[in-house]
Amino acid sequence: MGKTTREPDARQIATEARDRVRFEEEALALSDQVYRVARHLVGSREEAEDLMQETYARAFRSWRSFQPGTNLRAWLLRILTNLNIDRGRRQQRSPDMQPLEEGDYFLYNKLEAAGDGDTDEERVVERLSQNDVVSALSDVPHDFRDVVVLVDIGDFTYADAAQILDIPIGTVMSRLHRGRRILKKSMADQAVGGELA
Amino acid sequence: MTAYDPCAHCEEVMQPFMDRVLTDAERAQAEAHLDECTYCRKRYRFEENLRVFVRQAVTAEPMPVELKQKLAALRTPLQ
Repeated sequence: MGKTTREPDARQIATEARDRVRFEEEALALSDQVYRVARHLVGSREEAEDLMQETYARAFRSWRSFQPGTNLRAWLLRILTNLNIDRGRRQQRSPDMQPLEEGDYFLYNKLEAAGDGDTDEERVVERLSQNDVVSALSDVPHDFRDVVVLVDIGDFTYADAAQILDIPIGTVMSRLHRGRRILKKSMADQAVGGELA
Repeated sequence: MTAYDPCAHCEEVMQPFMDRVLTDAERAQAEAHLDECTYCRKRYRFEENLRVFVRQAVTAEPMPVELKQKLAALRTPLQ
């Protein structure tokens, strides 16, 4: 009796240092995956690189607020999207703007019509180029693109995407639905242009 | 009244179907339609290929090595 624990002892300090190093290693191991998402949430590679550095600097400072056992990748992307918003990198929302979208079959129908009667599904998709996709994705308005990038590229669940973007899950679903259609309309425009309009 | 169009309905539920968020009954209905409808089945296969293609196209660019080094340098120095 009588021994108090007001001062952290050497063992506590060592445990904390070990936990911190482990956290940092785990966060760094996820950096490729975080970058892949970040790269398409912002407009340019330079912006993505800046944002990644700010995100990791903040994550390493506030590592104690991460709850072990929860999704670290989602936690890092939550920091990243908040920093992105804080820095005003997102364009102002314009509620009146209604992006063009078509039905889900629109892209297939366009590509099929552009071919020489070849309707093999495998070959139809090959009429798109990597550039068509990247360029079409960057044309999708931010609110819709964020959700498409997190779910379809980042492999996040609807619930994770809702938490990362701080929006209701129903909003994730409706934006995903519209965002994918906007993306397909945009890919169709990139791939076959107005030639079949 | 508008007549029920099974292909239009299939198009509407295509993405939730692929996301596996339909109820069992909705899923069974969509599967039954895809079994019997070549038009929708072709488009369903295309959508599956498209998802893979999009993911590969946009993740082809790796993270720059220099960035990885910069991130590692942000770690707290060991005392």
